[in-house]
Amino acid sequence: MQELLDRKKGLHRKILIVDDEFIEREMLGNMLDSFYEVVYAEDGEEALEIIKKEKSKLSLIILDLHMPKLDGYGLLEILHSNAELRRIPVIVLTSEKEAEVKSLKLGASDFITKPYEVPEVIQARVMHSIELAERSVIIHETERDELTGLFHREFFFEYGRMLDEQNENAPMDAVVIDVNRFHIINELYGREFGDSVLKTLGESIHRFVNKNGGLACRSESNCFYVYIPHQDNLCEFLPTQMEKLGKLFEEPKVTIRVGAYSDDGSDADMEHRFDCARLACARISKSYESSWGFYSAKLHDMELHSEHLIHDMDKALSEKQFKVFYQPKYNIEGDKPRLCSAEALIRWFHPEYGMISPGEFISLFEEKGLIHKLDRYVWNEAAHQVKEWKEKYNVTVPVSVNVSRVDVFNPLLGDMLDGIIKDSGINHEDLLLEITESAYTDNSQQIIDTVTALRDRGFKIEMDDFGSGYSSLNMLTSLPIDALKLDMKFIRNICVNEKDSALVEIMIRISDLLEVPIIAEGVETKEQAELLKGIGCEIIQGYYFSKPVPGEEFEKFIEA
Amino acid sequence: MITVETLSNYGANTKEGIERCMNNEEFYIMLVNKALSDNKLTKLKQQLIEKDLDAAFETAHALKGMYSNLSLDPLTKPISEMTELLRSRCDVDYGEYMAEAEKQFAALTAL
Repeated sequence: MQELLDRKKGLHRKILIVDDEFIEREMLGNMLDSFYEVVYAEDGEEALEIIKKEKSKLSLIILDLHMPKLDGYGLLEILHSNAELRRIPVIVLTSEKEAEVKSLKLGASDFITKPYEVPEVIQARVMHSIELAERSVIIHETERDELTGLFHREFFFEYGRMLDEQNENAPMDAVVIDVNRFHIINELYGREFGDSVLKTLGESIHRFVNKNGGLACRSESNCFYVYIPHQDNLCEFLPTQMEKLGKLFEEPKVTIRVGAYSDDGSDADMEHRFDCARLACARISKSYESSWGFYSAKLHDMELHSEHLIHDMDKALSEKQFKVFYQPKYNIEGDKPRLCSAEALIRWFHPEYGMISPGEFISLFEEKGLIHKLDRYVWNEAAHQVKEWKEKYNVTVPVSVNVSRVDVFNPLLGDMLDGIIKDSGINHEDLLLEITESAYTDNSQQIIDTVTALRDRGFKIEMDDFGSGYSSLNMLTSLPIDALKLDMKFIRNICVNEKDSALVEIMIRISDLLEVPIIAEGVETKEQAELLKGIGCEIIQGYYFSKPVPGEEFEKFIEA
Repeated sequence: MITVETLSNYGANTKEGIERCMNNEEFYIMLVNKALSDNKLTKLKQQLIEKDLDAAFETAHALKGMYSNLSLDPLTKPISEMTELLRSRCDVDYGEYMAEAEKQFAALTAL
């Protein structure tokens, strides 16, 4: 592209006239030298030397066919076989009809007959050939990714649509290839290595489509799309291809995920096929091995179901289909367990699908940026429930609510929560805010500042899923928190695995050091409860006491 | 002396020839003189005597291009006829054509 710009700079273009006859050379040169810099060669061999030397500067070659040593046909063949030289347009000089056809087949872009036509015609043919070639370079460079040589996405889809039309919608498969953890690869091994991975993958894909037909593009930084004629045995074909690719990236190891949509005879358009293939790719978990997955009817149904849930969310909120359940937390320090607070957990009672567990919709709403609506709903419900219990029993049972990562970084969070406190008539410390440990480690200083501001307003903060994030030891002492909630996976095997119980004990000691209570989640058995009490855990929550229950049912714990 | 007028009188289509030379008469005359100093016609004759029809075709073809670009019509005619026969490597008597070409060449040289 830079060469093209240099050639176009000041419209300075150079052309080479190759003819063994002085008169022909001079006559032609005379017609063109007002517009171009003209250089001459008397035979094919001399021409080839000039071309190799000046290849980046030549805009056109005008070539006689009948010459001694290397004739015009011979030179055309040499130029055509060389990727660099092929791009220079060639106009052939001839007086024979057969020669016109042969030279066009050898890659000539036009011909000038002898005797020459009037100068204006020759000048127009020359300019036309040059401009056509230059436009072709621009298109090529625009439509292709510089690193891999594959199409850019827009051109890929454009050409794909044309391919479908031309082939009367012959069955085509869509394949999406994603490099696993590409940003980590760049970080660990450098950008140059990352680029070499993409380039190698691109070249491999390029060879593949050249051999099997179809098109390929680099869609995003580490994602490739391949549109290929339908393979009946795609489920065998893909793993074989992936094995070949895997051999290219053994040290250091680079793995890929491949999602595929196999043509099912429907008249789905190209974009839809790739939406499906991308979905299949996204659903593959990011493991440390290369893996692949197909788009299927089941996946389609899952996707459709997700779409319904998203669609139904607003109505569900307004109709209160979402119900807040409460799981009690008990202080186990004394002789008798004492109810000290509850955790608010959401359930969806969908009119069509029945009870939907949070596992099904929480991450979906987080992904789609809808979680803040749900969070606000839960905070509001929980706050009003606390008030109701206060009024009915003259007892304060603080309720902890989850604050999503997205909400934590909302600058209006404090004001919003203050509004809920005021509206419900409870105190700040009655609504406990649970923030997951990984939120602290993602953006430590920012979250510390946010949480400090919330505590300044009077809220209490519990660090949820403690032990599953990446807190460094020195960070722990500066964390603004009021309680630690142990991730339930630490509790699961404490009675059968000494290491697990030892680890939990260490975490309890950490909470002592921080002078905050520790809450063990997921306690299911008496043995677990007693062991935890024995090693100094203050508060436990889990099926041992109760599963999460609706507000009305929770009242029996208050009454007890 | 080769001038536009003498060439026109000879039968050359000087208007056409000069147009090809970007209406530069001096340039046209220079090229015509160059054509006259070329020895290809002699070469062609020898090649025909030796019946080297491949070589003769190449030479005739080159002469045809040269003369037709200069619109030296009386000279172009016999050369063109020979070129077409030689294209198919016809083993005929080229004597008449050669004689005509030489006659026209001599007439041009005599200007």
